[in-house]
Amino acid sequence: MTNSTPPPSLSRQALLQRGGIIAVVAPRKGAPAGDASESALDLHVCLTAEGRVVAFCGHVDLGTGIRTALAQMVAEELDFPFDAVEMVLGDTADTPDQGATIASETIQVTSVAMRIGATQIRARLIALAAAALACAEDEISLRDGRLYRGEGTAPAIDLDTLLANERLLLPLAESAAFKPMDHHMLIGRSVARVDIPAKVDGSFVYVHDVRVPGMLHGRVVRPPYSGMDAGDFVGRSLVSVDRDSIAGIPGIRALVVEGDFIGIVAEREEQAAEAALALKAEWRSFTPPDLSDVAQALRAHPSTPRLLVDEGDVDAALGTLEKRLDRTYVWPYHMHGSIGPSCAVADVRADGITVWTGSQNPFPLQNDLALLTGLPREQIDIVRHEAAGCYGRNCADDVAADAVLLSRAVGAPVRVQLTREQEHLWEPKGAAQLIDIKGGLGSGGSLPAYDFHTWYPSNAAPTLALLLTGRIPNQPATLRMGDRTAIPSYNYENMRLTAYDMPPIVRASWLRGVSAMPNVFAHESYIDELAHEAGVDPVEFRLRHINDERAAELTRATAERADWQPHVGPRMEADGEILRGRGFAQARYVHGSWPGVGAAWAAWVADVAVNRTTGEVTVSRVTVGQDTGMIVNPAGVTHQIHGNVLQSTSRVLREEVSFSQTTAVAARDWGAYPVLTFPELPAIDVLLVDKQHEAPLGAGESASVPSAAAIVNAVYDATGVRFRELPLTPERVLAGLGQLPPAAPAAPQLPERPPRFGLWSKLGAAFAGATGFAAVSLAIAPAIAPITRPDPATWSAATIERGRQLAALGACAVCHTAKDGVPYAGGFPLETPFGTVMTTNITPDPETGIGNWSYPAFERAMRAGLHRDGRHLYPAFPYANYARTSEADLQALYAFLMSQPAVRQENQPSRMTFPFNLRPLMAGWNLLFRPQGELKPEPARSAEWNRGRYLVDGLGHCSACHTPRNALGAERSGSAYLTGGEAEGWEAPALTKASAGPIPWSEAELYAYLRTGSSQHHGAAAGPMAPVIAELKELPDADIRAMATYLASLSEPLPDAEVEARAGRIELATSAAANPATSPVARLYQGACAACHEPGRAAPLVNAGPALGLSSKLHAATPTNLVNMLLEGGQHGIGSMPSFATALDDRQIAELAGYLRARFAPGKPGWEGIDAAVARARKTTH
Amino acid sequence: MRTTRRFALRVNGADHLVEGEPQTPLLFFLRNDICLNGPKFGCGLGECGACTVQVDGIAARACALPVRLAESREIVTLEGLGDGDRPDPVQQAFIDAQAAQCGYCINGMIMTAKAFLTVNPAPSEAEVREALRYNLCRCGTHVEIVRAVMLAAERCRASETAEP
Repeated sequence: MTNSTPPPSLSRQALLQRGGIIAVVAPRKGAPAGDASESALDLHVCLTAEGRVVAFCGHVDLGTGIRTALAQMVAEELDFPFDAVEMVLGDTADTPDQGATIASETIQVTSVAMRIGATQIRARLIALAAAALACAEDEISLRDGRLYRGEGTAPAIDLDTLLANERLLLPLAESAAFKPMDHHMLIGRSVARVDIPAKVDGSFVYVHDVRVPGMLHGRVVRPPYSGMDAGDFVGRSLVSVDRDSIAGIPGIRALVVEGDFIGIVAEREEQAAEAALALKAEWRSFTPPDLSDVAQALRAHPSTPRLLVDEGDVDAALGTLEKRLDRTYVWPYHMHGSIGPSCAVADVRADGITVWTGSQNPFPLQNDLALLTGLPREQIDIVRHEAAGCYGRNCADDVAADAVLLSRAVGAPVRVQLTREQEHLWEPKGAAQLIDIKGGLGSGGSLPAYDFHTWYPSNAAPTLALLLTGRIPNQPATLRMGDRTAIPSYNYENMRLTAYDMPPIVRASWLRGVSAMPNVFAHESYIDELAHEAGVDPVEFRLRHINDERAAELTRATAERADWQPHVGPRMEADGEILRGRGFAQARYVHGSWPGVGAAWAAWVADVAVNRTTGEVTVSRVTVGQDTGMIVNPAGVTHQIHGNVLQSTSRVLREEVSFSQTTAVAARDWGAYPVLTFPELPAIDVLLVDKQHEAPLGAGESASVPSAAAIVNAVYDATGVRFRELPLTPERVLAGLGQLPPAAPAAPQLPERPPRFGLWSKLGAAFAGATGFAAVSLAIAPAIAPITRPDPATWSAATIERGRQLAALGACAVCHTAKDGVPYAGGFPLETPFGTVMTTNITPDPETGIGNWSYPAFERAMRAGLHRDGRHLYPAFPYANYARTSEADLQALYAFLMSQPAVRQENQPSRMTFPFNLRPLMAGWNLLFRPQGELKPEPARSAEWNRGRYLVDGLGHCSACHTPRNALGAERSGSAYLTGGEAEGWEAPALTKASAGPIPWSEAELYAYLRTGSSQHHGAAAGPMAPVIAELKELPDADIRAMATYLASLSEPLPDAEVEARAGRIELATSAAANPATSPVARLYQGACAACHEPGRAAPLVNAGPALGLSSKLHAATPTNLVNMLLEGGQHGIGSMPSFATALDDRQIAELAGYLRARFAPGKPGWEGIDAAVARARKTTH
Repeated sequence: MRTTRRFALRVNGADHLVEGEPQTPLLFFLRNDICLNGPKFGCGLGECGACTVQVDGIAARACALPVRLAESREIVTLEGLGDGDRPDPVQQAFIDAQAAQCGYCINGMIMTAKAFLTVNPAPSEAEVREALRYNLCRCGTHVEIVRAVMLAAERCRASETAEP
């Protein structure tokens, strides 16, 4: 394994200890007073005699390109070339502790120290040069990292000469005069980001790519209270862990259990992943919060009012209003939705800990890990790598702590990768918010009163391992962060603002535009409502009341850029079923502790199109203006604004965390939490206001803040309907328009079928009655004498090879091999309606297998279903089919089995239900359904057809599963032949003209299916058929063709042209275009299934699944196979469909099955019993 | 049945023997055995596209592709397209269009775009968007990504017409 940790930059201590530097330093946070050693100093900027500039920042790059912008600022103030500057970001051993990277303050706040430092170094360098050259300082100039004297064009002195013997540590000054803007060479110019070249060729090392020698792989198992981090049950719910449940998985190095924390360490990642899924744990039950109505939940949750502003007499002013407007706005829970689930590597050694992390908060994480391990923080080294974009707080810190616990347990470095499901469930959500505004219009369009109340439920989302292990209390804490941008931009004469601080309901923390986005959604929707009531254009109305000149300037500039046409009231411009509208909103993002610091101003003009038939809202264009103060990297700022526009549009139109009655958070994948995709992109026009003479304000989040109100105001302009709750899903919009959503697929609420045992016990009674009289008079069959195991040399290689193919045709190994067991050694539990048959050892072991069976004993078993000792075999062993095999083939099969390695493995008893547990009764069964003898060819048919029938009906034993059975478990005869049966909880579909699929089987498709496991007109083999297909690979092509020929004769294939036409019609009718995603389950399909199953993809995909409109599973009479496929996937068989068992819960699977049936088999009735099918499949698959 | 065995993988023109189970996703072998950083783990469900590689020139979601289906086929990852010295035109276009923020999804964008452009060398912008529909980006770099793919397509066409 190679080491992918990049070579370290010059470290703080190494730089401070060497000669030939000028460095700007400050006392390191927490260092003992009076300690003058290097370890007690923070290094902000350092220039070496070789001309390298290294600048240190405790904040990190979250993928926004901040590394590039910071380097620009340092190079600018230092007058060095951009390329000379290296940035070290976020590593705790090297950088100053500047807190968490939040609130877009890196440029605005954190960069100041390094800018000052750069200015100091520049001044000292000039002073040194002047002294060395014995001239005045103002004769020296510094350009592009070189020192010139007077008008000289050649450098007057080089750095090495000047610094070689120096070791100058300058204390960081409190302030400095920065270069005036008109001298800027780098700031204000677009500079290509330094990280992108490595990101596009795979050489960039994300935290996910860190590989250290001896590294093991870890996975965690999270508790069932998904996404909840407060309450008595947190950290105290684990009852027991069944260590044996993962005993069969190789490579496991440790199972770590502490409180509610469970982690597994394995040698390979897939082993850890498999074990985490397989581990059985028992948990106490808990009661998830009821979040079916977020507004109600927030209102009911205990909170503490905090009066932020109380100016004038609001209550009195409310009484003077000419038009009273009281409004409520509701903001849903959102996800950060990092594209990569969090990952970390930890190495816990005797001398300390190194953690490689993508944390947004390296220093707070260091504190958390000190608390977790009891080590002093100096012994914990946090090495920061970039990760997937985070936009707030994802699970990066959680997984770092997980990795520490696992590494400590095994004494080796451990990499922990969270799953997509875990990241979705456990990331601290962007909090929901509820806002009430009381107010209205006074005389002449005045604004006498504004009574604003905002409810915000969040803590700071403590690092999960601390809670799960009980290191910190599980009681709720409250984060007072709901007050951002709580002050409106308008002059309300009397104003009262109240924030209701409350602990989280589900785990929550800051997400881009934290609390400001919801607050501004309310402020800027409300002002729009007031404008309408006042009969004034919304932009004009804002400008009349705006309380900030820069906001006014930006409002005018943005409206002008978008060619805003003043108007009053909704215009509702209709173009067929499309209604178009345009909306405005603006705000200045205020962050930090109340009253906070103003960041950049942003204004939006949003153009929308609303489909009044489907309710779909499209944002077609966004004109976004931003006053971000001094712009460091215009290209970077523009890109960041694009990102804000797209992400916030996604949040406003589509996003909302769903909750379940059993696990709290329900959304575990991109289907249940859909985000904006490429076809939905609005056009974006960015207007950057020129304020280079002002302080830089950063660009991280501001452009998101006006998004929701601008879009909602535009929808109002388009439809005349005002939406005060998000997201603007088609269902919500249609309901708002007073229309019913299009008929949803039938909900799977139908009654469950009677329990299977009821039916089967009746059949059992019938069976007992039918055979009762016979049982007494039947002779028990005689045993056949055991023999010594024949020498495999008895048979020719050709015979054994023929036997091998026949064993594959008979799929002997499929049933006679246990999960993870030795082939042919038995032990596979075969579920039948009559109980569980444990398959037996058919290796040639004399004691536990069939090693002492003579050929006559073997043949009798194959033809008559009798054990060598005379016992009757259960008809799960399809001897009725095998009986039809030729003597020569049975001889070859015997030869093959007898030539296999003998494996000693005791057979386990079958668990049959009464009366099938009485073996002698099986004799009666044989009397009733006596197997037929060897199959005789039909002379009127071709040789190929006859060969096919022989293979299908003989060893191939297709009818054993594909022919329905009668009450006594025997195959029905005559017209029922191959018209569909069942196998191991799967439906075995009809192979004849009774096939449910819309396109009849043809010879070509049968051949494709039997040869490759997949037919374009029917779908892929799954469940018990998958291993059969795998076995059929051993058969020669001629035999597969013969089987196809025979089976095709049972169908009525269509002419090719008709096939194409019918397939085309079905694809069209079931296409995305014909089925807009106007329900959560439709979006679930779109996010989870369509990537592989949507026909008409623009480019082919290796993993593409069959077109669902043609799939037999969708057209079958029962949902069994579809549900099984969703839960099991095809990975273990012949296909590549992943299992959705962990990504989707029972309700989602059931709804998805109902939706798929309605959409892809529109002519068929809705399925009954979907819920029951899901419950059944869950029992057998996991 | 647990059937650990060796798989011959041909990745970026080199042969590798890896050992594992047939249903284990290709992605684990590419990342952990062959130590490639390009293909990323995003969802494990084939939903987001961050893990995209090419198999026989066609885009494949390595997180959901059992290794047995990749055996002895020509696998190309982001690293195999080109490197800093000789970037593929699509990679160069992504650099020139500055088409990455965090960049975690970019592997999938480039690999999908590369496969798409071989099928449709002269796409419209709408076709590019459609081709990338099932590749998710959370930072909101879509505008720059579309621009990069259009740029790559233009350049590839220009260089083809320039060649004799």
